[in-house]
Amino acid sequence: MTSQTEAPITEYRSWAVEEFRFQEEPYYVPVGDEVELFRAAWNSKIPVLLKGPTGCGKTRFVEYMAFHLNRPVVVSRDGRKEIMQESSLPLVTVACHEDLTASDLVGRYLLEGQETVWIDGPLTRAVKAGAICYLDEVVEARKDTTVLIHPLTDHRRILPVEKKSQLLQARDGFLLVISFNPGYQSALKDLKQSTRQRFVAIEFDYPPREIEAEIVQHESGLDAETALRLAKMAEKVRHLREHGLSEGASTRLLIYAGSLIRQGIAPRRACQIAIVWSLTDDAEIQRSVEEVIASIFE
Amino acid sequence: MPDSPRPHSPKPGAPEPALAAIREALATFPPPLLQEFDEACTQLQERLDADALLAWADEGLAVARHSLRAWEAASVYCRVSAAVLDQLPLSHFQAWAGSGRDLAADSPALAAAYFRASPTALPHLAPAQAPDWAEQGRLLYRGTWKSGSLAAQYFDVSPAILSQLPLGQTRLLVELIDALAGHSYELASACLGMSAAVLGELDRADRAPVLEFGSIVANTAWADARNYFERSPGAIKRVDPQQRARFLALSGRVALMVGRQGHPYFLDAAAALAEADDAVHGRVIALAEQLLPHSGLAAMEFIKSSPAVLARVSHDDLARWHAQGLAILQKSAAGGEAFFRLESAKGEEVIQGLSSRVELENVAELIRLYCRALTGADVAVLPLDALAERGVGWVSQSSPTTEGTAIYLPAVVEEHNDKALNFSIYKVFATHQAGRLEFDSFHFRFARPATLFDDRRLTRAPARDGEPALTDMERFFDLFDDRRLIADLFTIVEDTRIDTILRREYPGVRTAFERLQRAAVVRRRALETMPVREAAVENLVRLSLDAGDTIQWPPEIAALIKTPLRILARIRDGDASVEDSAEAALRLYEWIASIPNVQLDESQWLPADPPEEEVTEEQDVPQGDESLSAPAATTASLSGRSPQAYQSPEPVDFRGDFKPELVQMLLQMRGEGMDEGEPVPITPEQLKELIEKSAEIEFTEDDDGDLDGAVSTMLDNLMEEMAGTRVPSDTPGQQLQGDYASSHDPGDASLPDDPQSFFYDEWDFRANDYKPRWCRLQQRTLPGGEVDFYNHTLSENAALVQETRKQFELLRPELFRKIKHLPDGEEFDLDAVVEWIVQRAAGAPTDSNLFYRRNKIERDVTVGFLLDMSASTDEEIHRRKRFGADDAAFDDDPRKYFTWWAQKRAREAGQPSKRIIDLEKDAIVLLTEALESIGDMYGIYGFSGYGRDNVEFYVIKDIEEPFSDGIKKRIDKITPVRSTRMGPAIRHAIVKLKEARSKVRILVVISDGRPQDHGYGRDRTEKEYAIHDTKMALTEARREGVTPFCLTVDRQGHDYLQEMCQDMGYEVVSDIASLPRHLPALYRRLTR
Repeated sequence: MTSQTEAPITEYRSWAVEEFRFQEEPYYVPVGDEVELFRAAWNSKIPVLLKGPTGCGKTRFVEYMAFHLNRPVVVSRDGRKEIMQESSLPLVTVACHEDLTASDLVGRYLLEGQETVWIDGPLTRAVKAGAICYLDEVVEARKDTTVLIHPLTDHRRILPVEKKSQLLQARDGFLLVISFNPGYQSALKDLKQSTRQRFVAIEFDYPPREIEAEIVQHESGLDAETALRLAKMAEKVRHLREHGLSEGASTRLLIYAGSLIRQGIAPRRACQIAIVWSLTDDAEIQRSVEEVIASIFE
Repeated sequence: MPDSPRPHSPKPGAPEPALAAIREALATFPPPLLQEFDEACTQLQERLDADALLAWADEGLAVARHSLRAWEAASVYCRVSAAVLDQLPLSHFQAWAGSGRDLAADSPALAAAYFRASPTALPHLAPAQAPDWAEQGRLLYRGTWKSGSLAAQYFDVSPAILSQLPLGQTRLLVELIDALAGHSYELASACLGMSAAVLGELDRADRAPVLEFGSIVANTAWADARNYFERSPGAIKRVDPQQRARFLALSGRVALMVGRQGHPYFLDAAAALAEADDAVHGRVIALAEQLLPHSGLAAMEFIKSSPAVLARVSHDDLARWHAQGLAILQKSAAGGEAFFRLESAKGEEVIQGLSSRVELENVAELIRLYCRALTGADVAVLPLDALAERGVGWVSQSSPTTEGTAIYLPAVVEEHNDKALNFSIYKVFATHQAGRLEFDSFHFRFARPATLFDDRRLTRAPARDGEPALTDMERFFDLFDDRRLIADLFTIVEDTRIDTILRREYPGVRTAFERLQRAAVVRRRALETMPVREAAVENLVRLSLDAGDTIQWPPEIAALIKTPLRILARIRDGDASVEDSAEAALRLYEWIASIPNVQLDESQWLPADPPEEEVTEEQDVPQGDESLSAPAATTASLSGRSPQAYQSPEPVDFRGDFKPELVQMLLQMRGEGMDEGEPVPITPEQLKELIEKSAEIEFTEDDDGDLDGAVSTMLDNLMEEMAGTRVPSDTPGQQLQGDYASSHDPGDASLPDDPQSFFYDEWDFRANDYKPRWCRLQQRTLPGGEVDFYNHTLSENAALVQETRKQFELLRPELFRKIKHLPDGEEFDLDAVVEWIVQRAAGAPTDSNLFYRRNKIERDVTVGFLLDMSASTDEEIHRRKRFGADDAAFDDDPRKYFTWWAQKRAREAGQPSKRIIDLEKDAIVLLTEALESIGDMYGIYGFSGYGRDNVEFYVIKDIEEPFSDGIKKRIDKITPVRSTRMGPAIRHAIVKLKEARSKVRILVVISDGRPQDHGYGRDRTEKEYAIHDTKMALTEARREGVTPFCLTVDRQGHDYLQEMCQDMGYEVVSDIASLPRHLPALYRRLTR
């Protein structure tokens, strides 16, 4: 979601993966001390594991941190070398899926003309550029990716590029961040202890009612009262987690609902399509959630 | 013939020679005849002229001459003639006598009975009807001795019958009796004997219809006739008098269609009508008549079901329900009958749709989730009687309430004619109770400061000494003398607080809420009739219900009510906590306790201003000031009258029962709701004291006389709950919804003996619909036997085990499979690259699919095995020659025989002569061993049972249960039990497999024959029904993403399996002994 005030995007823009950085501050409301923790971890080059349910703001948090972290860079200007502070860190985000292999991350040879050409994968690029590399939902990826993660996450901070017989030392600023939703993955898809214990873990949960209302209000442009009601409703619906619902209504869904309401859709209807129907297919639970919504919205 | 020993001198006035001749002729008969004749003559001489007398005498002689015994009839004729003549004019008298003579021609006894009954019967007849009457009796005579006696009986009972029934209608009775006589004279005679009494019980208008239907019963179900005679008056009396004839006619037509069942249906339908309101009988019967052309049974079933249906839908909707059923009936008679029998899911669904009432059973889960969402706690939603049954202080069956862990609601809401409105009542009930939980009504802390008021409770002196209070609530209430008053006031204030918060937090329920509030206000008792103190409390209730405009108060003591109203208004406006409620209640108490409870004259009541505007000003006033006690001057005006005992205000329905003191104690007993979280031990003495002093605890009426007994009963119940033997937050009945709750413990040290019950529908192919909740399935974990069996089987089949294991290992997928010729992938496929370069060099077109990737393949299979444990699996496979060569080994010595027999049994037990079940077990052992090596998820279940309410489902290994010695032991215990009702067992297995998240789910049913069970079909021999239900269960499996497979060892299996499985997989194992080898092979094939 982007802020409502932003200029319309009429043309596409493209970046090299490792050069993408935020020009404006991503909207994020800290709930606890997660900003300080992350900054401290980054300063100490300790990789970070973000735990939390879907749609509670993990990705946005990484974006926010990438924007706010900076490091010294050497800039040549008029023949003189100057050390300056970068405004933000580049951020490489990889959404992991079950067929994601190590070579998808590191890179591969491609045929070009008469010869093969090596193409760096996103992780390699992040290591070289000193970017934050965010592996979203890392448990989904193939197990061979852990081979890459391990040497990168300890004191060595190296990436073995097997096919080129190279070792890459990560540039300052590089930080591996992975996310993990302990809720919905099956027991089979748990992170191995040897992997888990290479990260400091920051736990996320849905923000408290007032903060969530503020976020919904900001992101959807809704009035404060309706936003607060949405947040209250979400709080109630989350009580059903593990009681029919595998996940509570995410902040993201609330923002969707809020945006629809702002467009003039009746609140009950907006909540139905944005929340009830996305949450579950079970008719009984749908009905219960709808009753909760009907109690909160007139 | 000998002369009479006594001399008979002819009367002086009877010298007629003709008469004398007759007399002479009569003298040849036994003397009593002549004697009667002479006596009659004397009487008749004065009344009849000579000719008539002669004719009369002639008639007598004619009768007497008919046959040997006819003189008896003639003598009766003589005896009654005078009496008859009193009733009949001469012309008719002769006709009467003629009929008698005719009867005598058939049977003298009959004629005698006719004459004998005449004096008493004739008064009920018109003079001309006598011959008709005689004819009716004659109708029954068929020339036999028995029929004669029956016909005579008819004349005997005629006077009694004719007094009830006009002659035209007695014909009906005669026909009925005649019909019965065709089957049994004893029965006919018994019924005839009863008939007068039966008719007497009936209303005059009902008699003919009852007899008409009776004739039909006699013809269609003669054996029921006596039953009919005995029960019909009672049955028909309960039907609307206007409709009885119509109902009987309908029953008659049905009986003609359905034969023997007609009579029981009539009784059932009459009983059903008795349950319904008289006013609807006509309507119900008219609707039933519409069904008659299609199916007589359906018409009767409709009447039978109508009271149950009417209890749930309106009268208009009954017709709608009927129309739906009629439509089904037109397509299929069996379907329609099942519909009206309320045995089809469709029928139930239609009622649900039409009915405006809402039943808790149907919405409990919805409301439970709703309340869980609101409170965030695990609240059960239960019917109110569940709480009353616990006997811990609640008795109401209608007021919603909560005891801290569950919300109790009435079983049915049918206030409105609209389902949505009725549901909204449930919702308000539930929201209010959930509000008490969510907003801490039961978490009052004595020491926690209030937010709106000063904490005056801290400084108030307790009203009584005694044990220190158990709970904070009790400690608060202990501050007051009048416990009932403070409890009432606290309830009003706290309910006001909860309602205020709810309306703010959940504006969506506001509309429904206000609707109930308005309804509650209308129902309030009139204020004028109340003593002043009660009126003050009542006014507070009204204010709390937003009905400030209905507040009334005597103006001369206006000052007394002003402040209390203001205090309550403060709760309504502010953001109050439960401690604020307590403080407000404390202040209200101080005011209201000072108002004497005296009665005032009605004229003094005027509307009082609700405290709208003053409130805002009041908030600036320092707290505490407003609650100085009431001005002495105003109370003085009320003194001098005698105060009455204080009565609590009427409860407000939608708020329900509120018992904070009790709930706090219950919560504390369980260690919940305490800040410390430690359950505080409560002694029975403490409990007893609380129960005795609390104003909240109600007892059921039958305890009324014996308060001590009631207290101790409740004490027992509480102590029992405290001991944890009864866990109140348990939700009985929830599991009975048919949903599966897994609750086995893999350790299986103590086996749950108590089976879990599940209910399943059954498919009725004739009705083309499900019979809802038709089968009860009981799930048990099979007890463990010896582990030896398992190991023994393994060692016995060592070779086979090796073989299957090897084959299964081949099944194990390679972890990764290389997929070549991809446009993109992990690596170049070197072969493809070489070829590509060669082709390029050769100038040939090139293929750019040069990559390969390794795809991981996971085997993701869950399988459930369902074993037939029916009695037929007990059959041995090779029937041995019973008497072989070793017959001679014992010669008539029983001991030797038993030794031989025991040896034989022992041999058989260990030898290849196995029963089907043994082979099933062997196969399971081998399969288990193989499955363990391959890592598939699997469950093993057995099923059997008898009848639809007792389908047994044995868990040998649940899907998630890890393999262990315990399971090996259970396999040993697989034994033949009873019948084979496959449908519910399959449905239960589906539920279990559905829980597994595997991609491939398979259900293998292993049986030894066709499904059959008691009541699994119309009769014992019918096979269709069971096969169709099983087929439907298998289809359901497929619908749920479970692949079913049937395996049978029944050689005749092909014919029904083909029908049962149609496009599904099945196999008949012709060589039963090969089952252990076959099953693993089959499994391999299924899952490859």
